[in-house]
Amino acid sequence: MSERMYPGMSADEHTTFPPYSAFDIPADLRQLHGRYDVEATARRVRNFRYAEEWLMMMLGGWIATIPEVPVKTGLGKIIWETAQAANEFGKRLPELRCGRKAVQTSEAPNNAFADFIQAVAEPETPNLTVEKLSGVFDVLIPHQVEVYERHNRETDAICDAPTIELLDHILRRKRQHLAWSEEVLATLCTDDALVARRKARTEALQAQLVASGGVTGKLGEAKQPNA
Amino acid sequence: MKRFIPHHELARDSRFVRQDNAQANVLATLPDDVDAVVEVFQKFAPMIEASVQGTAAQPLFEKYGPGFVLTVLNEPLDPDAPAGLTRLLLRMHGIFVGELQALEGAARSLWDFPDAPWEFKMNMARQCWDEGRHVQIFEKLLTHLGGEVGMFPESTFLFEAACSEDPAMRVAGVNRGLEGLACDVFRDMIRYAEKTDDAVMKQAVDYVLADEITHVRFGSEWVREFTKGDPDYLERTQAYRREVDKRFSFGGARSDREDAAIPIAWEDRIEAGFTEEELKELAALSGEGPSKQTLVEAARILRERYFADKASAGKESAS
Repeated sequence: MSERMYPGMSADEHTTFPPYSAFDIPADLRQLHGRYDVEATARRVRNFRYAEEWLMMMLGGWIATIPEVPVKTGLGKIIWETAQAANEFGKRLPELRCGRKAVQTSEAPNNAFADFIQAVAEPETPNLTVEKLSGVFDVLIPHQVEVYERHNRETDAICDAPTIELLDHILRRKRQHLAWSEEVLATLCTDDALVARRKARTEALQAQLVASGGVTGKLGEAKQPNA
Repeated sequence: MKRFIPHHELARDSRFVRQDNAQANVLATLPDDVDAVVEVFQKFAPMIEASVQGTAAQPLFEKYGPGFVLTVLNEPLDPDAPAGLTRLLLRMHGIFVGELQALEGAARSLWDFPDAPWEFKMNMARQCWDEGRHVQIFEKLLTHLGGEVGMFPESTFLFEAACSEDPAMRVAGVNRGLEGLACDVFRDMIRYAEKTDDAVMKQAVDYVLADEITHVRFGSEWVREFTKGDPDYLERTQAYRREVDKRFSFGGARSDREDAAIPIAWEDRIEAGFTEEELKELAALSGEGPSKQTLVEAARILRERYFADKASAGKESAS
């Protein structure tokens, strides 16, 4: 019998090729399991985009009010990378059945989180660089990093892989932003009073963040303070 | 945080010295009349003197009097001219603070117009990164030439003139007016770098010029988009841009005149989306200021009067 190259119409007419998949090498141990369905992921991506868009806007507002030149120029880069993050989240939304026009959709999880964002954006005068930076880099971005990492651990690794990929990319940049800010804040907080201001600001906003439920509004429901 | 900030609230560290914008603003309205130019600069003399105290411009004031800026504005940069390096540093410092204000203008557009289209925000965000790099580049070029941040006073009139509270006018002012001026200045700096064989400056400024062309293009596209279907709004925006261009011509120092210190970068501007008609208009309105001859004569009179006043003050104190 000659080698069968193409499947026939009856049950015994299989090709002679052995089953093979690139995914078997190494063995694919992932399971089809995730905490978030399409709708939940779409809602979370809208929430993520809301925080990124407002972060970009508030940093833009601050550049003119911050006297330290290297902080101004450093924030310029972070603004662009934050805008790109918001843009990538927007592009994911139509893929999650939100409609083709959803690319510009942002959604706060609740009013309390929207108020938290406005509280982060509140400092205005040039003597408040420490308060501006600690709100963003000690509270908001570390929270985003935790939530994004958690999403990647808990979502379906195969079905929601596009979200995981874009979060991985955004996370790499967020960690760079945090490393930059750590150096900047260490340089700025040159005495005990400035260190105390940073701490006070961080604690106040952290409490407000937790009370709001965070970027997805689900902190309380999950009963996991770092969710 | 409030929307829209006045130019005097731009935050600076302790190296910077601020200059009253009145001096820069008045340059845009000078007539081609020696007496009028002399009168204006004599009126501003105390303000000019106060603003240069302790800066690298103080020796220029002491050598040329309150009209020293006229000698700076009215001749192309020349490495062999008297005070050639000081003039180069003065321009480089002016570019540095101009980039700082361009960064602040683009960044404020993100906060001041929260309901603007997303693509507009993306363009402004990109511009923030670019302008941040330009600030870094010109700080390094300043050092490369032997200068330092804060060595000359900063006028914030670029931000004041360009940052309208209307989005179409903001991009017309910042992206077409200010960034268009940047194209002219950078093309001139590239010419200077070629003349002095400064490969570092030539390459760096050439990259910056490429960015600025993109920023002007953002402006050209967003003015069109914001004013789409509203010819009156478009005309008001164009009138605003003409006003900004007039102010940014410094009485003809940036123009198409033969004696211009900074010629209009015609080809770069065409690539950035300016039309031939707009550039002819720019050439006409920027060339309206006093002639080189007028300014040279005014500078001479101002210098003589300055030394005469100084001598008379010296006699009085001696008696």
